[in-house]
Amino acid sequence: MAFNVLIVDDSSSMRAIIKKIIKVSGFSVGEFLVAADGKEALKVLKDEWVDIVLTDINMPNMNGMELIAEMKKDELIRSIPVVMVTTEGSEKKMQEAMDLGASGYVKKPFLPEDIKRTLSSIMGEEDGQRDHDEDDEAGDF
Amino acid sequence: MDRETMMKTMRQAISNVLETMFFQPVQITGKNSTLQEWFSNKESLLGAALRFTGPSEGSFYVIIPVKLVSEITANFLGLDEEEVNAEQKIDTLKEALNMIGGHMFSLFNKEGDISLGIPELIEESNLKHDKLGKIKGDTLFIETADSHMAAGVITEMT
Repeated sequence: MAFNVLIVDDSSSMRAIIKKIIKVSGFSVGEFLVAADGKEALKVLKDEWVDIVLTDINMPNMNGMELIAEMKKDELIRSIPVVMVTTEGSEKKMQEAMDLGASGYVKKPFLPEDIKRTLSSIMGEEDGQRDHDEDDEAGDF
Repeated sequence: MDRETMMKTMRQAISNVLETMFFQPVQITGKNSTLQEWFSNKESLLGAALRFTGPSEGSFYVIIPVKLVSEITANFLGLDEEEVNAEQKIDTLKEALNMIGGHMFSLFNKEGDISLGIPELIEESNLKHDKLGKIKGDTLFIETADSHMAAGVITEMT
């Protein structure tokens, strides 16, 4: 079944390239949603059904770390897997993101395979969907 | 952080980012030049700067002829050069600098205690040929297959 992807990056070029990589990687994507920062992303997450989030860290208004922290506070969206796609590649930052609840981490510069491998491992585990209990909550969005 | 390590890491980051993400093989020259000598006064340039803060503070910058920015943008987005618009060029230039800065720190700042700002465009007036001499710092002069560019770092304290 197709899954919806939210790509969060302040660079429209980066959003476009990530979208293109996911498309050509053969994933069954229902809808691509985009946001330029964490604040916009939260709004999208509250208005739309999202199965996975790919987010940059270094963004204006609300960064990727703050976005995960906010998501974890919200029962309705806390279980959505979040993949960091970022230039912030230090061990400390990676650990910080994982501690906050990130499901994966792709460092820029990346190869298309890096995105594909990370998405495969997460969506494979998740089977592209959140569980049925949460499906029932979708009407509350 | 010593200056030599920073410049060495910057060389590696520039090569990795431009070759991996923009399909642009680069040759970083060892030339002891100046920005005014490196760019002709007929070239139209675009530049971006990225501030970093922490134990070391300062800014990175890249300066690239518009024609080369078009080329790397087209490569990045998988478009023809004629299809690339001004907004895409600026966005790609900033993202390239963001990746170079971030990749550079990921290579040698394992503690992750240096933070990057948001890339900003350098005002066009500051990239006029007679103003290039005012841009200080350590600069790398870089050749590509058909063009050239410059990247540098201005450190405020170490």
